[in-house]
Amino acid sequence: MARYGMVFDIRRCIGCNACVVACKQENSLPDGVFFTRTLSEDYGVYPNAGRVYIPTLCNHCEDAPCEKVCPSGATYTREDGIVMVNDALCIGCNSCAVACPYDQRTSLGKDLFEKGLFGQGKITDFEKQGYTRFTPGTVSKCDFCSERVDSGLDPACVVTCPTDARIFGDLDDPESKPSKLIKERGGRPPMPEKNTRPKVYYVT
Amino acid sequence: MATVREHVQNSLKKGKWIRSTCKMCLHSCGTIVHVTDDGIINKVEGDPTNPSNNGKLCPKGNSAIMRHYDPNRIKQPLKRTNPEKGPNVDPKWEPISWDEAYDIVARELKKALDDDPRKILPSLEHFQKMNVWNWPLAFGNQNSFQSGGTMCGGAYHPMNGYIHAAFAVANDALHCNYWINDGTGDGFSSHLHAAAQANWVADARIKRGMRCVTIEPRLSTSAAKSEEWIPIRPATDRHFALGLCHVMVTEGLCDYRFLRKDTNAPYLVGPDGTFVRNADGKIYVWDTESNSARLWDDPTVGVDRLALEGTFQVEGKECKPAFQKFRDIVDKCTPEEMEKVTTVPAATTRRIAREFARAATIGATIDIDGRTLPLRPAAYNYYRGAQGHKHGFQTNHAFKMVNFMVGNIDTPGGLCGVTLDDQWIDKNRIIPGENGMILPQPHQLGPLPPFQYPPSTYHLLNYFPVGLHPPHLNLVVFENPEKYGVDFKPDVMVIGHSNPLWAMQGPREKWFEFMRSMRFIVVCDIIPTETTMWADVILPSHDALESWNMTMIEPPHTEGMCLRQPVVEPLYDTRSEEDIMSELSERLGILDAYNEVINIVSGFHHKPELLLQPGRKYTDREIAERKGLLWNDKPLDWYIEHGHAVTHRRSDKFYRPWEGMRLHFYIEDMVTIPRDLKAKMEEAGVPFRNEWCWDDYQPLPTAVLDPVHSEPPEYDLYGIFFKEIQINFGESLSNPWIKDIVYRDPVHIALILNPKTLEKQGLKSGDIVRVDSPTGRIYGRVGASEGMHPDALGVSNSLSRIKVRHATVAHAGGHFNDLLPYDLGNTDAVTGQPETVCKVKLTKLDDWPEPLKQGLLVYDIVDEYQRPGKVGSH
Repeated sequence: MARYGMVFDIRRCIGCNACVVACKQENSLPDGVFFTRTLSEDYGVYPNAGRVYIPTLCNHCEDAPCEKVCPSGATYTREDGIVMVNDALCIGCNSCAVACPYDQRTSLGKDLFEKGLFGQGKITDFEKQGYTRFTPGTVSKCDFCSERVDSGLDPACVVTCPTDARIFGDLDDPESKPSKLIKERGGRPPMPEKNTRPKVYYVT
Repeated sequence: MATVREHVQNSLKKGKWIRSTCKMCLHSCGTIVHVTDDGIINKVEGDPTNPSNNGKLCPKGNSAIMRHYDPNRIKQPLKRTNPEKGPNVDPKWEPISWDEAYDIVARELKKALDDDPRKILPSLEHFQKMNVWNWPLAFGNQNSFQSGGTMCGGAYHPMNGYIHAAFAVANDALHCNYWINDGTGDGFSSHLHAAAQANWVADARIKRGMRCVTIEPRLSTSAAKSEEWIPIRPATDRHFALGLCHVMVTEGLCDYRFLRKDTNAPYLVGPDGTFVRNADGKIYVWDTESNSARLWDDPTVGVDRLALEGTFQVEGKECKPAFQKFRDIVDKCTPEEMEKVTTVPAATTRRIAREFARAATIGATIDIDGRTLPLRPAAYNYYRGAQGHKHGFQTNHAFKMVNFMVGNIDTPGGLCGVTLDDQWIDKNRIIPGENGMILPQPHQLGPLPPFQYPPSTYHLLNYFPVGLHPPHLNLVVFENPEKYGVDFKPDVMVIGHSNPLWAMQGPREKWFEFMRSMRFIVVCDIIPTETTMWADVILPSHDALESWNMTMIEPPHTEGMCLRQPVVEPLYDTRSEEDIMSELSERLGILDAYNEVINIVSGFHHKPELLLQPGRKYTDREIAERKGLLWNDKPLDWYIEHGHAVTHRRSDKFYRPWEGMRLHFYIEDMVTIPRDLKAKMEEAGVPFRNEWCWDDYQPLPTAVLDPVHSEPPEYDLYGIFFKEIQINFGESLSNPWIKDIVYRDPVHIALILNPKTLEKQGLKSGDIVRVDSPTGRIYGRVGASEGMHPDALGVSNSLSRIKVRHATVAHAGGHFNDLLPYDLGNTDAVTGQPETVCKVKLTKLDDWPEPLKQGLLVYDIVDEYQRPGKVGSH
């Protein structure tokens, strides 16, 4: 059984946010909802100024605090390591959102599905066929495109990335792309001091 | 009984994938589009079989569905019932039938055609459908009010035509090891097939260790990803380039063999700036071995004997090799002198020049497909920001010279010409010119009108024999028609696939007056824009998921044709652009002429069986089919299945396709064309001939300053504007997915100043300011960034919209382009390229002016996004 993880190659990422839009497309996310975000951070002082682009998403932690605090068992980890939300069980308490040190949990308020992407309550046909997957009032997040993965595809963000900065695969397979990248380029998880053991790594 | 769970992820729902081509910018990345069995388009991805973009798509391409399902789309023809026109005046649209719409439009256009065809002013800039763009040629009209062009590459394209006989250029990502970007985001955020080139360049950087250096006033994406960012004062990139050339020339770092053998650098130039010719018109060179003048093709004189430097006497005239003429200029362009102009430290210029020349491995070769080619893996790329200045032709020439120095023109690893529509690759492109030189091809967008006085074009294109299109001059003439001897006034506009009121430079208010002077305006578009507000009739067109096309636009490393095919039936009562133009043409009695325009522009004369015949209208599908057959003899069904016929560029067409000919290091046309133009103007008594900027014409780039630097000193900052990949090469700010990312991005949410400059100006981040240039005024909120040259004010195009009747489009404090000059003095007499940098001054305000307080401001959205929300609703 695979243990899925992701590597972000910071050298490659150009901060274009194609991944963010691909994710919104794939998952019919309402306005202002992100299952992945690519941030940018300026550093240095002119003329030695720089900027780094940082892709982020749910880290599918091995010791997921969101799963630990979930009172209803809605948040659970699959055998292949993907941390999922069963929104039929979610009571919308938001404990997971408080517990997540990476701020990767999103509260799906009812108003999001009523206002529509274009606002003014105009819901497009695209949204109509997509919003049915959500249960308003629950808290959701990236699930590594688990459905695509089950069908043998890579997550939507990975497929579209123009610079191949997102690498997805089986961390337990030493020959997988993410495993090799972590080994060759010294991959590090974000904020390891939080002790959640993310399955997402960064290489620079 | 177990139920089969319905898929929730869009690409897995029951449906089918259709291959097509992206249209969210002007390029042609391959796509696959998923449409469900219920007929809803719910996913767009890159086509993994298309070797241009290899399955990748930029954020704009990923957002195509939201253009398609935009509820603000124009759903049927509309007629204006409110005679008053203004930026936020309700046109009071009345829906009408296509019949009535065509009746009205044809009637009004016919009035203009019968009266004087020059009274029609078209804005039809459509790179993916050049047959539509060139519709006005059907009635001999070469006016233009287009929305792109000169902002983008007004001088860039003609220069590429001179040097490479191509439309665009790119560094060769396959072999380059030292990649310089000057005022461009190629390979990171923009230009040629953004997602595709970003993929090529990322691999080059990571797998091959290619080093990137970016020169530009701000820390763009390209600068942020480069190993080195060289900040530069705006509008001085030419001087930096000349400084690099100085170092390479004075330190002997050039590819002299290339200069002697493959260019006209050894050709002798006489006192009048033209080449020295014998009685038969053959050009002289100087043979250093016999110490005498010989003809350029003298078979007894080996190429290595040709002088590049020196002063000689030939046929009683003092003359120098063209290279010496260049040396005379760059000898004075010391890095120290150039630093005064650019602020780039002299030591940096010296170091970069030496690194560049070393990385170019002059003398090295590589074998590709059985040819031994020079290997020059160092290249200097440049585009909109660097090239968009008054002295555009000289500026582009200076950038070419950096590349000429190391002999990398069209070589592996070097700066390579990129063709526009790939029928150009095989036909009519590399043609021998006179005296061993390649024939320049500056007119790649169509024929230019001949010299004529009074002018036959409202934007004075008759006086720009090199090109390209100076649409801002429409305003110059409008303000003073008598001065320019224009004896007609356009009063009908035909606008399609353009938004000139968003793109033009000069104050919007003046352009509004120009619009108000029109008797009739028809606009063909998909969604409401700044320009549709002014229409008398709107003809809604299909979007790119509902229509056909066959095209390939400026792919850097591939060639071929890409099919656009409908994924669904049109959602609304729209028509294809081809249907609209051919129906109007038929009603106007110009259908046969239009079909012939399509034939010429599409290249159907190369395969006469494809020619459109007189007397019938052709659909977008029929034209697409013919373009496919023209490329590779494959029928439309083949393209429907495969989506494209894209392959890697053939090396013999990409690398040194001009082998055996000489390139235009020295552009003699810059001496002969103005001489000829001046004589014609003199003969015709053109009243403004003495004000024409004759000195703009230079056969070699000089260190003249662009006039923007001489504005009154009270304007103490340089205003620059920029885009980035989310919003370039098209309109995307109306798209909620784009809005969601752009207004959260620090570079797109404020007028950006270096923190020290902010302080010096007495401002704090978040202050509201009025920005004044000598030409116009805008308002905005300032922010700080260390990634900004201290002399510059950076304004993202995200802050450029004005009031539009589209709920997602938020206006900011006015359009940056209002600040830009639009006069002849700030226009390149050679190419029509206008200045795209301005000098500005800032005034702190306590609050927004009243008109901006009405309606949704971009800054309101930014504030909302930054407001800390409850946990988990990021």
